[in-house]
Amino acid sequence: MSPLDRQHPPEPGALRDFSFPAVERRDLPGGLDLRVARLSRLPVVSVVLFLRAGESTLEETRAGLACLAGDTLEGGTRRRSGSDLSEALERVGARLSVSTGWEGTSVSLSCLAERLEEALPLLVETVREPAFPEEEVARARDHALAGIRQRAMDPASQASDAAARRYFAPGVPYARPLGGTVASVESLGRGHLSGYADAFYRPGGGGLVVVGDVDADEIEAMASSLFGGWAGAPPAADIFDVEPAARTRTLQVVDRPGAVQSEIRVGHVGIARSDPDVFAVTVLNTLLGGAFTSRLNLNLRERNGFTYGVRSRFSLRSRPGAFSVRTAVGTEVTAQAVREILAEIQGLVDGGPGQGEVEAARDYVAGTFPLRQETVGQVAARVVELIIYGLEDDYHDRYRDRIRAVEVEDVHEVARRHLRPAEAQIVVVGDADGVAPGLEALGLGTVDVKAP
Amino acid sequence: MGILDIPFRKHRLDNGMRVVLSHDATAPVVAVNLWYGVGSRNETPGRTGFAHLFEHMMFQGSLHVPKNRHFELVERAGGALNATTWYDRTNYFETVPSHQLELALWLESDRMGWMLPAMDQEKLDNQRDVVKNEKRQRYDNQPYGDWDERIHRLVYPESHPYHHTVIGSMEDLDAATLDDVAAFFRTFYVPSNAVLTVAGDFDPERTIDLVEAYFGEIPQGAPLPDLPGETELSAVIGDTVRDEVVGEVPLPRVIVAMRIPPYSSDDFAVAEVTQAVLGTGRASRLYRRLVREKRVAKDVVTFAFPLLTGAGMLLSWITGYPGSRPEDLEVALTGELEALGDTAAEEVERAIAVTETDLVRSLEHAGERADLMSMFELYFDDPGRLNTEIDRLRAVTPDEVRSFAAGRLGPDNRAILTYVPEQEP
Repeated sequence: MSPLDRQHPPEPGALRDFSFPAVERRDLPGGLDLRVARLSRLPVVSVVLFLRAGESTLEETRAGLACLAGDTLEGGTRRRSGSDLSEALERVGARLSVSTGWEGTSVSLSCLAERLEEALPLLVETVREPAFPEEEVARARDHALAGIRQRAMDPASQASDAAARRYFAPGVPYARPLGGTVASVESLGRGHLSGYADAFYRPGGGGLVVVGDVDADEIEAMASSLFGGWAGAPPAADIFDVEPAARTRTLQVVDRPGAVQSEIRVGHVGIARSDPDVFAVTVLNTLLGGAFTSRLNLNLRERNGFTYGVRSRFSLRSRPGAFSVRTAVGTEVTAQAVREILAEIQGLVDGGPGQGEVEAARDYVAGTFPLRQETVGQVAARVVELIIYGLEDDYHDRYRDRIRAVEVEDVHEVARRHLRPAEAQIVVVGDADGVAPGLEALGLGTVDVKAP
Repeated sequence: MGILDIPFRKHRLDNGMRVVLSHDATAPVVAVNLWYGVGSRNETPGRTGFAHLFEHMMFQGSLHVPKNRHFELVERAGGALNATTWYDRTNYFETVPSHQLELALWLESDRMGWMLPAMDQEKLDNQRDVVKNEKRQRYDNQPYGDWDERIHRLVYPESHPYHHTVIGSMEDLDAATLDDVAAFFRTFYVPSNAVLTVAGDFDPERTIDLVEAYFGEIPQGAPLPDLPGETELSAVIGDTVRDEVVGEVPLPRVIVAMRIPPYSSDDFAVAEVTQAVLGTGRASRLYRRLVREKRVAKDVVTFAFPLLTGAGMLLSWITGYPGSRPEDLEVALTGELEALGDTAAEEVERAIAVTETDLVRSLEHAGERADLMSMFELYFDDPGRLNTEIDRLRAVTPDEVRSFAAGRLGPDNRAILTYVPEQEP
């Protein structure tokens, strides 16, 4: 080898190409969209059954119903109790989990590939024949209510919930906590759950994604038989408007007397998943607050030592989600941190990004893409996104090229379009006596202090 | 042969650094992972939290790498990186596209060999502030955030290196100096106290050459000092010891912790399986009986901590509902520890089946394979334990679980910490 040059970073070797795993697409009876990708490095498999049973279609008075129904699925089927179901799954080393979001409900199974034939029927039984026993409904409801109580005492959750109410107008589903409120959850009973499942746990518009050491033909045969006779589709979702709560800057402090830190959120309504600006916005967010070396983190953490970390994010949903900056800082530097966050946002709107910054952000997003597809579960999640948001089949194959095509001017343009510091909603959960005077002194507007 | 057959080879540099290579070209990704045999157990009195603060300083630059360049270069290369500090070790890792392997080796070798010339007071003060904010965010400003500090004080005597936790105290963080940074570096950050694992897509022969070139000239370092304090421990605590917090928590919670054999002991596998029978999955004892059937617990958590020095720790907590009486939670939980005397064979089989799936799934990440191989090499001189770990668990019998529970989970070996919500005015 030639003598080592320690002064400069070594030249990279030859780039090895990465392709997103090939996905086979089949139609199952009942309208379920089956997608199978073979990944055989390890003998494992990940299955996701996605159903159009999400929180965003529910009335405010029933908020939390989709989550509660999903959580109660483990409570048993018409054929076996919750404990018997768990035993049957764990005997074959399978993990079953249900997660409910704004768009739908995902029932996920992971197991060794050799056990799929035993485990998959249990997933199907869980979804097609839920029993919702009274005592399991009561337990899941108590669990959800206790969870709401826990969130109300956790400063980070408190801040995120308060921020959602400041970002979105009343009545927009995204303004409320995903799992509902004490009032809405308390009103839910067994009848609501079984009625909901009957209407919404239907194959139409949903999908079955299987990724791992499997064969698509075998999966298709297995699934066709297990889902045979399942029919119907959930009621079509209304497309709701996403209005902001305010078009002027507001500043709210939620008092937590004696808190040693302040949880800060700064943001406003962002963009939808389908927005054509999504690639430029991804690069924008990366250099603003999406990576360790972003403007916000280098300022607040590495230059000022205000925080352990700060991140920004655009939540990409069917309808426009939030753009939000989140961090936790010492009480005494809270006002300075808020000022710096707004200054960094304003700086991008006014001056745009530098060439080097955009290149670095592009390289980071495109380069880390393969790292985010290492496991069968990660690949399955990416494929499920295609179904949820109706993205083209080759979306993931083209993703890195689209990111690499983003130029400085594109980023500056989307910064001007999608960052609105004058309309920023600022929420601080912390010690009001300690933080309010400094926040007032920033001259951003009246500070509205809320009791805990 | 078992279900796993992950290839590896070992190599040792003249300066004592151990190298493990594990090739897999499925994805164009390579993980570089370094374990140093130093953690909070090596901290001297008055310097708790220092090993972790030092870990932060390792990202503040080195002779040829200015502050923040490390993160910039790895992120720019399309890589992910981080580091963690624990009781027995500190690890540093990056996963990068495979054509950027050399970059990771350059960065890791520069800070192993030439960190000190880049240190200054401003960087130390900045990272001290960052770490203090980390402590506030993750511990001080969190309901139940001080649980591990309190549990460690109960399970390990004051003279033992596990008596204090990794995050340490604010006062000790304030006391840390640049001289401490230099002394710690020279003592512990030496090749003979490090394991480097490269896992994923790379050319094995060329990689050995690169590792030799980048790390080979770093001087070996002296043997490590003895651990501070008394490392010998009796197998059990000797009593039921207690602590109670009445404060800002939303729900009552009872935590029971017990000494178990250290990770290096053959009996650790029995502890792991017992832990899984107790609390892994929804068919486990605690979930089935306390969460589902009796509905006394909102949720249950169990862990077996793989600690090396004197004794490990098995921990179990249950969180009640609003209004639950902590004493009822405690009776319910300790009752289940005692009831393990009738553990059935099928429970053991289920626990092992679920643990096996979880283990195999974790190995999908190149970073995780590298991390486990570094650990097995540093602790046991055997990265191949990655493949045989599951056999160790499979060999555990129901009899062993029953007698382990009888001998180790009784009232003479319990630290009980209770959180009670403050009465609302």
